[in-house]
Amino acid sequence: MDEPASSHPNAREELQRLLGQVAVKDRAALKAVYERTSAKLYGICLRLLRDEGEAQDVVQDLYVTVWNKAASYDANRSSPITWLATMARNRAIDRLRRRRVPTETIDVALGVADERPSSFDVLERAEDALRLHRCLEALEDKSRSTIRAAFFEGATYSELAQRDDIPLPTVKSWVRRGLMRLRKCLEQ
Amino acid sequence: MSRERPDPDEPEVTAAEHALRLLTGDELRDAEARLSSDPEFAKGVARWRGRLAPLADEVEIAAPPDDLWRRIAAALGAASPANDNLISLRRNLAMWRSVAGGMTALAAGLALVLALPQRPVVTPAPVERAAASPMVAMLGDEKATKVVASWDPASRQLVLAVAGEMPSAPAHSHELWVIPAGGKPRSLGTMGGGKQMHMRLADALATLLQQGATIAISVEPPGGSKTGSPTGPVVASGALSAA
Repeated sequence: MDEPASSHPNAREELQRLLGQVAVKDRAALKAVYERTSAKLYGICLRLLRDEGEAQDVVQDLYVTVWNKAASYDANRSSPITWLATMARNRAIDRLRRRRVPTETIDVALGVADERPSSFDVLERAEDALRLHRCLEALEDKSRSTIRAAFFEGATYSELAQRDDIPLPTVKSWVRRGLMRLRKCLEQ
Repeated sequence: MSRERPDPDEPEVTAAEHALRLLTGDELRDAEARLSSDPEFAKGVARWRGRLAPLADEVEIAAPPDDLWRRIAAALGAASPANDNLISLRRNLAMWRSVAGGMTALAAGLALVLALPQRPVVTPAPVERAAASPMVAMLGDEKATKVVASWDPASRQLVLAVAGEMPSAPAHSHELWVIPAGGKPRSLGTMGGGKQMHMRLADALATLLQQGATIAISVEPPGGSKTGSPTGPVVASGALSAA
C-alpha cells in the first residue's frame, strides 16, 4: 500500500501511545512525537507562512502546546496526526493574520482554542482522503479553487476577492455552494 | 448578508467557513461567540475540520532545522517538572472532560477489583528500612477530590476510597498509575466497581510510592493499557505527601 506513513494504523496507534506518555510528562515521548511528525507540521506551516523563521516559531510553540495539552487529546475523536495537523494549520493562520492585519482580528483569532477535529475521522484516513478528493473534483472549478486557496493559503473571503478582483458576494457564493455540495457528496 | 434570508444550511455553512478560517470582522466575531454558546455549531466546526483535514496530506513535508528540537526542549525546561505535571494534569482534565461527550459520571463510585500488573517485578528493593510514616494522596481534578489513596509503606498496603464521582466511559477500564517524580508511569492495575480497594504492592512498586510521587487514574481499553503506559485521558491525579 502506498499510504503515507502517518495514516497507517500502526503509526497511528504508536502516536496515540506516545501522546498518552506526553500527557504524563514523558519528555522522551515528546521527542519521539516530534521525530515522527515535525516534517509534516513544518511543511504545513511553511506552505501557509512561506517564511522559514516564522514557520519554525510556530512549530516550536506547537510542540510546547502538545506538551501542555496532550491530555486533552481524545483518540476517540480524531487520529493524532489530524489533531496535530489541524492545530498546525490554525496556529500558522493565526500568525498570518497577525502579520496581515495588525490590529483588527488579533483577539478573535487568538480565541480559536478548540482545534479538535471530530470523531468523523476515526474512519480510515486513507479512505477519507480518497473520498474528499473525489468530492472536490466533482465541484465547479471556481468553487474548488477558492476552497483550496482558503485551505492551503489561509486566505480570507476578502483576500480571495481582492486577489482575483472579484466581488465579495460572488466569491462567497462560489465557496458556499461548493461547501454544501461537498458535504452532500461526503455524506453519501 | 446571509442573515437576510433564512436558510436551513446556514449554520452548517458558517461552521465550514469558520473551520476554513474564511471569516473576518463581525462575521468572525459572531462565529466565535457562537462557538462558545452553541454546542451544535461547535460540533459542526469540529466536523468540518475533520472533513477537510485529509487535504493536509497534499502538503509537501519539510524537515525543520536540527536546532529546532533544542529550542523546544529549552522552552519546556522553564517549568519545574513535578509541579508542572500536576498542575497541567488538573488543568487538562476539564478540557478533556468537555470533549469526552460519551463519558458519564459513574455516580456510585468506582470499583475496585484489582487486576494485578502482569509485568514481572524486576528489582526487589529493601522497603522495610523505609518504614516511613503513612502517606496520602488526594486524587482529583481542579473541582473536587475523587479518590483518596492512603499508603502505608510498612505493610505495603495501598487503600483507595472513592470520594466523588468518577467520569467513566462505557467499555473502558480505569487504570491506576504511580509516577515517580521525574520518572515514567508504572501501572498499579485496573479498577472495577466498588467504593474501596485494598492492595498490597510488590517491593519493586512499593519503592516508587515516595513523597512527591504522583498517583493518577487514566481511562484505558478494557483490561488496561496494552502498552504498559497510559494511553487515555487522566481523570484524577494527586501527589503523595505525609499523612
